[in-house]
Amino acid sequence: MPQEPIDPEGLQFQRVSPAYSKVRLVGWAISALITWAVLAVPLVLMLTGVWPGYPAWLAWGLLGLAIVADLARMAVIPRQVRAIGYAERDDDLLIRTGLMFQKVLVVPYGRMQYVDVAVGPVDRALGLCKVQLHTASTTAKAEIPGLPAAEGSRLRERLSARGEARLAGL
Amino acid sequence: MTATPTEPDGPQAKGPGDAASWHRVHPVSPLVRGWIAVLAILYFFGQNSLENVFNGADHSGDDGSGWSFNPGLLWIVVGGVGILLLIVGAFFLSWYFTKYQVTARHVNVNSGVVFRQQRQARIDRVQAIDIVQPLLARIFGLAELKFEVADAGSTAMRLAFIKVDHTRELRAEILSRAAGLKQDRSPGTTAARPGVVPDPAAAGGPLSGDDDGTSPAPEAGPPATGAPAAAEAEGPWPASEPERVVVVVPPRRMVAATLLSPWVGLTLLAIIGGLVATVATDGEFSLLYMIPFLIGVVPALWGQFNQGYNFRAALGEDGLRLSYGLLDTRHQTVPPGRVQAVMVTQGFIWRRFGWHKVVVNVAGYGGQGEDAALRSTVLPVGTRQDVLNVLGIVLPDPGTPRPAELIEAGVAGTGDAEGFTSSPRSARWLSPFEHRRQGFAVTDTALFSRAGVLIHSLVAVPHERIQGIILTQGPLDRRLGLTGIQLCTTDGPISPRVKQMGLDTGRRLFLSQAERAATARRLNDRDHWLEGERRG
Repeated sequence: MPQEPIDPEGLQFQRVSPAYSKVRLVGWAISALITWAVLAVPLVLMLTGVWPGYPAWLAWGLLGLAIVADLARMAVIPRQVRAIGYAERDDDLLIRTGLMFQKVLVVPYGRMQYVDVAVGPVDRALGLCKVQLHTASTTAKAEIPGLPAAEGSRLRERLSARGEARLAGL
Repeated sequence: MTATPTEPDGPQAKGPGDAASWHRVHPVSPLVRGWIAVLAILYFFGQNSLENVFNGADHSGDDGSGWSFNPGLLWIVVGGVGILLLIVGAFFLSWYFTKYQVTARHVNVNSGVVFRQQRQARIDRVQAIDIVQPLLARIFGLAELKFEVADAGSTAMRLAFIKVDHTRELRAEILSRAAGLKQDRSPGTTAARPGVVPDPAAAGGPLSGDDDGTSPAPEAGPPATGAPAAAEAEGPWPASEPERVVVVVPPRRMVAATLLSPWVGLTLLAIIGGLVATVATDGEFSLLYMIPFLIGVVPALWGQFNQGYNFRAALGEDGLRLSYGLLDTRHQTVPPGRVQAVMVTQGFIWRRFGWHKVVVNVAGYGGQGEDAALRSTVLPVGTRQDVLNVLGIVLPDPGTPRPAELIEAGVAGTGDAEGFTSSPRSARWLSPFEHRRQGFAVTDTALFSRAGVLIHSLVAVPHERIQGIILTQGPLDRRLGLTGIQLCTTDGPISPRVKQMGLDTGRRLFLSQAERAATARRLNDRDHWLEGERRG
């Protein structure tokens, strides 16, 4: 796991499964296809002669820009997934995310209200799951996506047990 | 008759210790809640039938027969009575099916005619209690009791409407139970009458041992006889509950503060601009065009004034008590330890007068909307001393021997005075004016963060209230070697953050703060706050 400047020193983050890139890729493909389809409408109308007055450069340009931007987005997905990490400490859980805008979130076990495990259709096909921690704060909603199912349930059990041991109300 | 006691619903009185009986809200309640709808229907209907009467009269005049025999009119009257009966019936049903019960551990509310709804709230998780009196409810001598509970998914429970003095009794009852004072009392005694003051002997029992003399039992309450009258005379609070008034905002200051808000300045500027435009264009631009603008601004100002009027903050055994309002009045109680974050702000106009505003985050008050903003304000406009008085309640232990100096440095200061660490010089590229202001200070019990040049702000978050901490760094921050921290609290007007610290400072703060957040719990369970520790 690459050590970024803001990562707390002396802490080994655990990486999520590289297969999680595929989940993200599926999501990316769906959103990209929809964008392209919408942006292709004026182009098709122009080429078929229904809307001949539409400027060609705009029709091609918009679609081209969208495709370039989406491809760039796709290219960084594996790196973004590699940037996701989590670390269990004695009293709290740390989660790091982000390449450009980096974030490290820490949640003390005592503040957890409950822990969820969510599995989407693509997750299920790949044997992955997402662990979510809920606290009383909506900003401190911690998510660890792309965990292997066994690791996910192990983590949930551990977090719940630790949360109960340290639970101190709000 | 307040809350007519009814038979417990047969054998299905549920749960352990739930011998307490079910009660109904005041029969007028649906009317108080739905009066606008009634008025609208009456108006609509009345107007229609009047028109019909006149039309009928015209026709009948032509025909020469009396209009009173107009069959249309008869139908209208019948229809009107029918609709009225329907409304009354609906009101009756909604009243009949709304029941509440206060047991030793829970408050239960059942409501709904077709879709029954049962809500239960744990008393020891009560975050705050409000007594709200809209104008119409005040006329009937009724009030709404509303309380926020931090249980799985925070939900507000409301009992609307009950007699005013009964809401006070209920509030005292719920709060003292929440404080853990009444755990030993058999729930049977409450069953006699809801929220009625328990007999002093029973209440005094658990207290007499450890009472240090400064704190009379809050639930010693009004003596059973003549108490309501006394409470009425005394104002909103039951007479024998001791409280210390901490801040009173004089109406004159409230008016001045409202008038000095930037909105009024903008309005004046706009009107002057409008006048100039009118003169310059020879009346082509009319001041009438400004009316939409005024429609936006005037009600907002009026609302601010109406709601902030007569603001009073006091400290009682059960926590911070606020009361305010001109037409619609509201009495709030925030138990100790329920405040998640505090913010003191001072705009540049107010600075001249030495005025400040203090808001808090309390779980359940919520972050959006006018109502949330109103309820979160614990001091709408106050002097420096007022601020310190209020902070003394909402932040009882600032964790520093020099709290006044710390607050002063936080609200007005720059640089490193009083233990503040401000942004490094490299931050001046991102915040040319603010980088000397923005900074933080850590005390034994709380993290203080200050920011703002035009509007000074100081945020304090107790370590034990921090739900999570986020360390962030964007691309610009990275180039300049900066980092920021966001502290997660419950939803509210305050989202505490420390911007643009040096990288090492930020990382160290992040780690040490995480440690403090995880370990800082002076009282291991604040839910029963009076059991754990006696507090003034």
